[in-house]
Amino acid sequence: MTEGLNLDYSLLIPEFLLVGLVVAIVGLDLYAPKMKKTWLAYIAAAGLVAVGAVSLGYWDTDDNFANIIVVDDYTTFFRVFFVATAAVICLASATMVAEKFRHPGEYYALIILSTIGAIGMAASRELMTAYISLELLSFSLYVLVSYQKFDAKSNEGGLKYLLLGAFASAMFLYGMSLIYGITGSTYYSEIAVGLQNPTGDFQWAMLMGLVLIVTGLGFKVAAVPFHMWTPDAYEGAFPPITAYLGTTSKAAGFALMLVLFSQAFEVVHDDWSWMIAGIAAATMILGNLVALQQHNIKRLMAYSSIGQVGYMLMAIAALNSDTAQALLVHLVGYMVSNMAVFIVIIAWYNMTGKDEIADFRGMRERAPLLAWVLAGALFSLAGLPLFAGFVTKFVLFQSVWNEGFYWLIAIATTTSVVSLYYYLQIMRQAFVEKPAEGEESRLPVPLLMNGLAAALMVGVLYIGLYPQALFDVVEAATDVLFV
Amino acid sequence: MHSPVLTLVLHLEEVLIVGAALFAIGLYVALSKRNAIGILMGIELMLNAVNITFLGFARMSVSEDPIQGHVFAVFVITVAAAEAAVALALAVAIYKHRETVNIDQIDLLRW
Repeated sequence: MTEGLNLDYSLLIPEFLLVGLVVAIVGLDLYAPKMKKTWLAYIAAAGLVAVGAVSLGYWDTDDNFANIIVVDDYTTFFRVFFVATAAVICLASATMVAEKFRHPGEYYALIILSTIGAIGMAASRELMTAYISLELLSFSLYVLVSYQKFDAKSNEGGLKYLLLGAFASAMFLYGMSLIYGITGSTYYSEIAVGLQNPTGDFQWAMLMGLVLIVTGLGFKVAAVPFHMWTPDAYEGAFPPITAYLGTTSKAAGFALMLVLFSQAFEVVHDDWSWMIAGIAAATMILGNLVALQQHNIKRLMAYSSIGQVGYMLMAIAALNSDTAQALLVHLVGYMVSNMAVFIVIIAWYNMTGKDEIADFRGMRERAPLLAWVLAGALFSLAGLPLFAGFVTKFVLFQSVWNEGFYWLIAIATTTSVVSLYYYLQIMRQAFVEKPAEGEESRLPVPLLMNGLAAALMVGVLYIGLYPQALFDVVEAATDVLFV
Repeated sequence: MHSPVLTLVLHLEEVLIVGAALFAIGLYVALSKRNAIGILMGIELMLNAVNITFLGFARMSVSEDPIQGHVFAVFVITVAAAEAAVALALAVAIYKHRETVNIDQIDLLRW
């Protein structure tokens, strides 16, 4: 069995390095108790950046490990994407984690472990590997969400996330077992071959399997009607983890969906396209409408992210090489903008300890740089020109339109306008409302937070003004999926 | 003098029906129980249904490489154990605060 398989472990060096980093961080936390705990964050971030640099060395590689893990431009793209996200999250949580937790080492270790899971979801070409990676990501996140052991909200958010996540995994697994049964394989390429010759007996089993797989993945990316855990987990979690949930967890779900549906299920496109289109429509509408009545910023961002998932699901429904490119472009734009918003939320929470929307009043006077970054990032999420969100949304909507999903685009543009309303509500607090009595003074924003916010804002503007570089990278990354 | 050999032939359909029934029971339990531990038990039933289905297909369906199904089942068992560990730890943490694991009463987070 094993001869002919490529067991070249050097392809997996970035993942081994990440595991090494996990061990090093936990070890440092244990054996160097005198070290300032914020240093753990800086070491974790530096290590992640180094791994990102190593991963870049695999650009233009096209190889696989035992046919189950593929290292190509797509994998490299997501390796760098997830590692960069994790590095920003580690830096953003540095001061807070050092103050609140007794053993911050495990916190960073779990973030890095979940990054390995996320990379595995993008890189695997086999159902079992994909499933194990997904659970590695999910389990780390369950623990991270409930990391504030003595906070009832954190525990509650974690428990709800875990129960619904485990439920979704069970559905996903049952779907996989049915697909395995009718195709006789768990490899994507062999599933595609198996599905090419459908017989009447298998039609229902296949449809059932697809429904269950779409359900399971729908839970993971928080698509309506499987989104119930999202607002609770978002509100309960520690703010940096909320940001992490909104970016890595979603991006990993889409990375897996994109590979799975383009490699394994493309031959039965018509059988699942309508399901995902329906879910996308419901997700866009419900996410954006319920966001209108939120008063907690983290809950609002949860529903806003649900709305964004709806836009991205359209690309899966209309899957071809153009929409796949557009999806990755939008993922990057969304990641940068969303992170910028959350950096501001985290910095504000650090200084004031508050996370209601009304608590953002007077931000322009108290922390001007943060306020302007918040404004720019929210405009980007809403899709206004000049910012990343406009370009990425435009490319996404256009590619889906070209596939003939006109009704989806109609819903998407309408709900985009709706989303502008609740984003503006936050900005009204930050810019129009005066600070509360006795709180007019300028806040001492740490240099790190200001720097992160400014850097992410530069990213938002760069993608918004010069998107060509991103397009080129993404084109190379998706080309390998559609040969 | 030969004892009659009782041959019991198990068909794929029967295995799949057991798997589907178990999955349905687990689904019902997971959706109807109000106790977090009960929900977890329902999920475990669903995972076992998955194992039965995988093994049935691997054993009795025409497959060139049946080992995949067997290995998958082993991994599912392992993951289920890890899942139970994390879930029970969380349930204990919540019980310390609220003296209950009834999900109707764990309601700090509402829309």
